[in-house]
Amino acid sequence: MSKLNESKKQYNDIEIPTELKQVVSKSIQTVKREQSRKKSSFKKVGFGFVAAAAIFVASVNMNPTLAQSMSTVPILGSIVQVVSIQEITVEEDTYNADLKVPNVTGLTNKELENSLNEKYIAENKALYEGFQKEMEALKEVGGGHHGVVSTYEVVTDTDEILSISRYEVNIVGSSSTIMRTDTIDKKNEVLITLPSLFKDNGYIETISTYIKGEMTKEMAADEMNIYWIASEEEIGLESIRPDQTFSITADHKLTISFDKYEVAPGYMGVVTFEIPTDVIKEELISDYYIK
Amino acid sequence: MTKSEKFQLVENYIVENQHAHYRLAFSYVKNKESALDIIQDSIMKALRSIDSLEQTEYLKTWFYRILINTSIDFIHKNKRMTVVEDEVLDFHLPSHEMDVPDIDLYEAIDHLAPKQKTLIILRFFEDMKIEDIATTLGVNQNTIKTRLYTALRKLRTNMEEKVKV
Repeated sequence: MSKLNESKKQYNDIEIPTELKQVVSKSIQTVKREQSRKKSSFKKVGFGFVAAAAIFVASVNMNPTLAQSMSTVPILGSIVQVVSIQEITVEEDTYNADLKVPNVTGLTNKELENSLNEKYIAENKALYEGFQKEMEALKEVGGGHHGVVSTYEVVTDTDEILSISRYEVNIVGSSSTIMRTDTIDKKNEVLITLPSLFKDNGYIETISTYIKGEMTKEMAADEMNIYWIASEEEIGLESIRPDQTFSITADHKLTISFDKYEVAPGYMGVVTFEIPTDVIKEELISDYYIK
Repeated sequence: MTKSEKFQLVENYIVENQHAHYRLAFSYVKNKESALDIIQDSIMKALRSIDSLEQTEYLKTWFYRILINTSIDFIHKNKRMTVVEDEVLDFHLPSHEMDVPDIDLYEAIDHLAPKQKTLIILRFFEDMKIEDIATTLGVNQNTIKTRLYTALRKLRTNMEEKVKV
C-alpha cells in the first residue's frame, strides 16, 4: 500500500507548466469564437450508437481581427492564405476519422478560390463517405479496425507562389498515404499545372529518366533504399504521369512526389525528388516559376 | 438548462480541473508539449461535442473519456510508446520469489499497456469509483474489476489482497 501511496505522490508531483493556463483558456476561446460565428452552419451528424459524437465543425484558425488588420496594411500586399479548416472527427473504438480541410482565402479570382475550396471539401466528403461505408461493412462482419486521416500542409508560401499539399492516410492494419498538391501563382492568380510549365510532353520522359537515375543511385548508396523501377522482369516506375504530384519550392525548384507504395515499399513513405533545373531547362516554357 | 449554461458549466469544470487533466495526459506521453497538445485537443473536442453530454452529472466521466481517448490516440499516432511484450515485462518486473524492495512502482505503471495504465491511474491516483471508471470507459463494472486485477497482477505487487477495489 505504501508503494502505491508513493506512486500516487509522484503522480501528484507532476509539474504543472506555466503554459497550461494559457493553453486551456485559448482552447476554450477558440471554440467559443467559432461557435458564435458558425451557429447557423453548425451541423451535427450522429449515429445513435456513436460513443463520442461525430461532428462537422468549421473553424477559422486565425484571429479574424488580425486578418482584418493585415488586409488593410498595404505593404503586406497579397493576403492569399490558407486560413481556415473544416474538421471532421469520428471516434468510435476501433474506427476513427480525422479530416482536416484546407480553405484558401484572399484571392480576388473567386472562381479559382471557390473551385479549389470546393475540391478540398469534395475530396474530404468522399473520404468521409468511404470511411462510413467501410465502417458499416466491417461492423457487419463483426468488427475491425479502420482509420482515415486527412491533413494538409502549406509547402511553399512566397510572394509569388502558394503550394498546398493534402495528405490522405488510410489505416487498415497498415496504412497508405496519398498526397496531392496544388500550386497557385499568387500574383496572376492562376492554378499551375505540371504540363503548363513545359513546352510539350517531352518533360515526362526527361523527368522520368532523371528520377529513375536518382533511384538507382540512391539504391546503390544505401541498401535500405528500395525503389521499384520497371524493367523486363519487374513492375515499377515506367514514367511519371503527365499530372504527377508536383510542387515548386521557395527557391524555385520543381519537386515531383509519389504516393506511398507508388514507386517504393511502404516504409519509404511518400517519396519526393527535387529536379535540378538544369535537367529540365530545355523543356521549360520560361524561367518565371522555375529557375 | 440552456446550451449556454451547459457550456459555462463545462468551461468552469475544465478550468477548475486543469491540473488533474494535465497530469493524466502527461502520464501517458511523458512530455510537456505533447501533454499540452492533448489538453488543447481534448478541450476543443469536448466543447464542440457538448451535445453528447446528455446528463451533466456525468460531466467528469464524459470529459475523462474524451481525454483518455485523445491521449491513447496520440500515443498510437506518434508511436512514442513501444508495446512491451509480456516476457519483456516479466523480465523487468520483480518476480514473486525475489521481493525487490525498491521497485519503482511508478515507473512500472508506465510500462503497462495504455488501457491498463488508465485503470490504475483512474482508480488509485484519481480515486475514481469503479462505477465511474466503468461509465468513463463504457465498459461494465465487472469487466473493470477483472481488468483492474489483471493490471495489478501484472504489476506484481501484493496489493490485490490489501486494497479493496
